[in-house]
Amino acid sequence: MRSFRYQHRDTPVHKLNPFPKLGWIISILILALVLDSPLFLLLLFLSTLPLVRAGRVGAEWRAFMKLALYLSAAIILINALVSSHGTHVLFEIPGHLPLLGAPVITLEAIIYGVAMSLRLLAIISAFALLTLTVNPDDMMLAMIKMRLPYKSVLVTSLSTRFMPTLLDDVDRITDVQRARGLELDKGKLRHRIKSRASIVTALLSNSLDRAVQVAEAMESRAFGTGRKRTFYRDISFSPADITALVFSLLPGALGIFMGLNGYGQYQYYPSLSWTSLSRGEWWLLGLMVLLIVALLPLAYLKQRVDLD
Amino acid sequence: MIKIEGLTFYYSDTNQPALRDISLKVRDGEFVLMTGPSGGGKSSLCRCLNGLIPHFYGGRISGRVAVAGLDTLKSSTRELATRVGFVFQDPENQLVSMDVEREVAFGLENLGFPRHLIAKRLEESLDTLGIAGLRYRPLSELSGGEKQKVAIASVLALHPNVLILDEPTSELDPKGAEEVLSVVTRLNHELGLTVLLVEHRLDRVLQYADRLIIVNQGVIALDGKVNDILTDRYRELTDLGIGVPPLIRLFQELKKRDARIDRVPLTVKEGRAILQKTLENRTPLADTGWERQRADGKHLIEIKNLWYAYPNGITALKNVRLEIREGEFVAIMGRNASGKTTLVKHFNRLLVPTKGKIKVAGIDTREATIAQLARKVGFVFQNPNDHLFADTVYDEITFTLKVLGFSNEEIKLRTGEVLEKFHLTEHKECYPRSLSGGEKQRVALASVLAARPKILILDEPTRGMEYRLKGELMRFLKDYCSQGNTVVLVSHDVEIVAEHAERVILLSEGRVVVDGEKHDVLSQALLFSPQINRLAQPFARYGVSSKILTVSEALSVLS
Repeated sequence: MRSFRYQHRDTPVHKLNPFPKLGWIISILILALVLDSPLFLLLLFLSTLPLVRAGRVGAEWRAFMKLALYLSAAIILINALVSSHGTHVLFEIPGHLPLLGAPVITLEAIIYGVAMSLRLLAIISAFALLTLTVNPDDMMLAMIKMRLPYKSVLVTSLSTRFMPTLLDDVDRITDVQRARGLELDKGKLRHRIKSRASIVTALLSNSLDRAVQVAEAMESRAFGTGRKRTFYRDISFSPADITALVFSLLPGALGIFMGLNGYGQYQYYPSLSWTSLSRGEWWLLGLMVLLIVALLPLAYLKQRVDLD
Repeated sequence: MIKIEGLTFYYSDTNQPALRDISLKVRDGEFVLMTGPSGGGKSSLCRCLNGLIPHFYGGRISGRVAVAGLDTLKSSTRELATRVGFVFQDPENQLVSMDVEREVAFGLENLGFPRHLIAKRLEESLDTLGIAGLRYRPLSELSGGEKQKVAIASVLALHPNVLILDEPTSELDPKGAEEVLSVVTRLNHELGLTVLLVEHRLDRVLQYADRLIIVNQGVIALDGKVNDILTDRYRELTDLGIGVPPLIRLFQELKKRDARIDRVPLTVKEGRAILQKTLENRTPLADTGWERQRADGKHLIEIKNLWYAYPNGITALKNVRLEIREGEFVAIMGRNASGKTTLVKHFNRLLVPTKGKIKVAGIDTREATIAQLARKVGFVFQNPNDHLFADTVYDEITFTLKVLGFSNEEIKLRTGEVLEKFHLTEHKECYPRSLSGGEKQRVALASVLAARPKILILDEPTRGMEYRLKGELMRFLKDYCSQGNTVVLVSHDVEIVAEHAERVILLSEGRVVVDGEKHDVLSQALLFSPQINRLAQPFARYGVSSKILTVSEALSVLS
């Protein structure tokens, strides 16, 4: 579970100002929502990889992707079972299933599921990069700079701060109950849920006690009382940062352009369209990849500028 | 200066006052040590001093409290934060940032300090606590002692006049506790900061404190110079169940027999000086041995060449070979991360050996489930709060029995029995978490013992526990042991182990370093020996055995 947290590493990606990284995420989100074509979505996902590599967060990133793959499998399966719009029937499931009737598995439905999963993978990959390479405290500062209210930002930041503590609590409490003879993974689903209730109850009660103590400690260090708060650390903007920020938003702009002009679209149903990409679309595809990856050389550039 | 006049306080949902008509004056620069039974009002009194009572807690309050000229009733907690620094018990629950620097800056930011002043104060506080090297480290990677030092630095940055610490070491291991207490002492001695320290471990700080205050049942029961109270009001201290260090217990007894002893020593050094004088003119004593208990029951736990590596690659246990017999009382000791907890978690299969073998009551743990072993091995964890989840004490205890599949009649019978045994019958319909610390511990213990396990494992059950409760627990464990059951105690507490265990196993870096009878293991070491042994070490030539560990052994030799 530890692998889902930020850990400091000395890489250009970690050192990059958080705003360009936020801009980059927004761009990826826009593209993922606008694009439809499996080829575009695949390349969108692939172009997040160079930053993951440069940020040396591969192991943690894989933990995120493992989760994403489970979700993807579920999406593909459900879509294949539920959607029967396609024309190329691969096989029919004999008999009658509750709710689903007699599902027909079509090639189109499977490919559509795969494309949806690619969309999901691209988004999760980008968010994993953000979580793993931006110090939560910097994220808090960035959010405050964007004029979000301090108290709401602090709550978010506190929940990241207490995540490891909570996970330790879970481990300890689970051990306690297992040592008492509770078998968590045996029996019917109802039994499993019931046996976990003892753990959740203890966990919640512990967390409530903790919350009161944290509030007390914050109050005795003059938290939330009148006047304006200052911030010791700040996010500074050098010309290199501003350049990076502008570049990080360009893929998003391209995405909006493509969306408005109908590029990167694809027809799945009733049968897959096999028409090849137009020349213009090949260009756009290349440009998209280039703009997404452009953040990486900019990060190296910033590192150089900072050293000089 | 702290000035309290006629302070009475009720928490909002009670009719019983938490503090009753308290008056107290503390001069600037004083080092006040405060102790007393838990639930006696120590924490409430501390919270009155920085305005958490009544501003945070509400409730009814009367009387006056003034700190450094500020009336705490009328001043906001914001104003008070710059006068009173408050450090809490659990370091985990008072740190709000991700790294050390931001944590120390947090209070200053709240007060709206400009950036350059924050930078200055930050350097100052980090240097004073000697933690400048940790400044960029994430808090989650620090040890408990380091976290507590960060907490102290973060209140020190606000330049308080008074530093209040409410049991700052009760969640720490001895090394962390030692570090924190020595920092606190230094702050008082070198910066002249007024310090109010609430503590159960008196032996480490008695010699540095100017004044000792005992709070019990909402009033100040005793208040005076440390040595005066320990010498002249000893009876009252023990009646209140205060954990007086063994050194002082010994000399109080010797004082009754030898009129030449008029003061009790606060340190081992002073103690040796007094003992030297009394022994000098006496003929050497005969070296007396004492009865050593030898367990000869059959092997209950057999461990053969056990290795354990965590999934992250750290090897926590290396080639451990051990046998534990029926009826033994074993203590497992060692530094933090020496493998103590990892070892005992093998006894009920919470962990399975990476290599090697462990047999518990004749069963290879690989071939059993935790649930099967749960009837044979009971495991009590450090924090009773982790055990408790049910709505009533009764349900909490029956839960274990239900899970283990006992019949309804058996459950009724056994539950009634343990309730009676642990004096919980009158609380059986109570919500377990609302009970006092000692009662909670008893419920946790009862819920485990209802299954009547042959082996009982306790992982640091006495950490942060007050003296009286420790005694109660240990008496019970001894009794349980004498009925032919095996008790395995993981502990850092040398004094408790010296007093009650029979066999001590010392782990270091995942290996068994020493394993033997407690007199052989715990004597003649430097810091690892109990106070009485450290006192006695130089007197072997007068016939005082260098293997004595406890007050009663020392008395039998000396008188």
